[in-house]
Amino acid sequence: MAALLDRFAPIMSQRDALFGDDGVNPFQVKMDQVLSQTEAMIGGRRTILVGTNNYLGLTFAPEALKAAHEALDACGTGTTGSRVANGTYYGHKELEDSLCEFFNKEHAMVFSTGFLANLGILSTLMGPEDYILMDADCHASIYDGVRGSSAQIIRFRHNDAADLDKRLNRLADKPGNKLIVIEGIYSMLGDKAPLAEIVAVKKKYENVYLLSDEAHSLGVLGKYGRGLPEEAGCEDDVDFIVGTFSKSVGTVGGFCVSNHPQFDILRLMTRAYVFTASLPPSVVASATVNLGLVKNGGALRKRLMRNANKLHAGLTAIGLKIASENSPVVAVVAPDPVMAVAFWRGLIEAGVYVNLALPPATPYGYSLLRASLCAAHTEEQLDEVIAIFAEVAAKVGIVAPAEKKRVAVG
Amino acid sequence: MNAPTGAEPSPDTLAALFEILKSFNKAGIALTPGTRFSEDLNFDSLIVMEFVAEVEDAFDISVPLNILPDVATIRELALAVEKIVAEDK
Repeated sequence: MAALLDRFAPIMSQRDALFGDDGVNPFQVKMDQVLSQTEAMIGGRRTILVGTNNYLGLTFAPEALKAAHEALDACGTGTTGSRVANGTYYGHKELEDSLCEFFNKEHAMVFSTGFLANLGILSTLMGPEDYILMDADCHASIYDGVRGSSAQIIRFRHNDAADLDKRLNRLADKPGNKLIVIEGIYSMLGDKAPLAEIVAVKKKYENVYLLSDEAHSLGVLGKYGRGLPEEAGCEDDVDFIVGTFSKSVGTVGGFCVSNHPQFDILRLMTRAYVFTASLPPSVVASATVNLGLVKNGGALRKRLMRNANKLHAGLTAIGLKIASENSPVVAVVAPDPVMAVAFWRGLIEAGVYVNLALPPATPYGYSLLRASLCAAHTEEQLDEVIAIFAEVAAKVGIVAPAEKKRVAVG
Repeated sequence: MNAPTGAEPSPDTLAALFEILKSFNKAGIALTPGTRFSEDLNFDSLIVMEFVAEVEDAFDISVPLNILPDVATIRELALAVEKIVAEDK
């Protein structure tokens, strides 16, 4: 008889081969003290955080802290109920009204996390006669969501509107509704969807809807932070926007907004909404306040992109291969997982926290050191980060400092 | 799995799949219609996705992800591909 989790044996041996020694590993990183949006004490060291997706740095916004404290005192630590039972307080409704106003949409539903928003909406929206066409690089929550749907699930090539067109064309005679699923910014490499092209393809066919997950683009793109649809001028063509409060909005929770006239029935049909506890009032209050700061956050967006461009340029100058461009995500490509782990360890031991991302969680089988910028990073912090990257990259052998070139590996 | 008992795919479909599988058959095992993707070829979820994308290109079809749990062998995939090709006509 096999032990319960023996089917994960290949992953366990891979994990042990990469992290089996006594060195620090990414699954054990613990912040002993949070110093600010951009710094924490990790392993007794002051560490600059460059991998938190805290794009606008709103986690310590004084207005949001105040609102959260007040809601905590007024309403308690939790709702102890789901949105359709005893878990809807005035704050949840206010937040949904704020979302409608922010996105200029008729309907908004607030979920307990962004993951649950995708899980709930994608498993419920389409029926047995329908088709979901999803970008191949979509997030795990989208994959899990469509798995719960009774529709036929078809993937199209990442960011390839022509491939989407081909697949929609094959379905043109089928009676069901079709839903295209994309993300505004893809998390690993920070690349944007070609939204205008995708909208043009959508308009060629009947009964096609478009859903965009704006998890990484909310607050980042568009004059008012409404994400890629605002930036691309396609807001009326995106039928459903899903997003999260856990990145630019600086707290936790998920949402879906839409103008679809029948949207409200989803409140009764979406299991990830009906059968889970609602967000605590303090979280809801801080999300509502921060949404306003996101809308008026033009200056923060400028600083975020200035910081991103500075890190991108600095790491490129060292000779590192960067797989992202013009994005708040700066993804450094390491030659292989072993080098990536050594690089990541060198950085954390020198006081820089980034995300280690390895295949199969990465596109193109990349081994990535994924940095995400914050509007609150200072020039001095980023200079320090770049200097530490240079030092560690040379030590690990990914770049030769003198010639600034990659060393062949393997 | 959904195919009627005894149904066999055409040799052309099998040959096309064998050809695509060449670059995925790292261990170089002998491929037969009964070869299993998971147990014999050690396909993980990521390789399955890459492989399916190549099959879609080769046959100019979309393979719904929904059918994948029911496809264990090359024969079953060939039958599934033939069914989709027939439906697309």
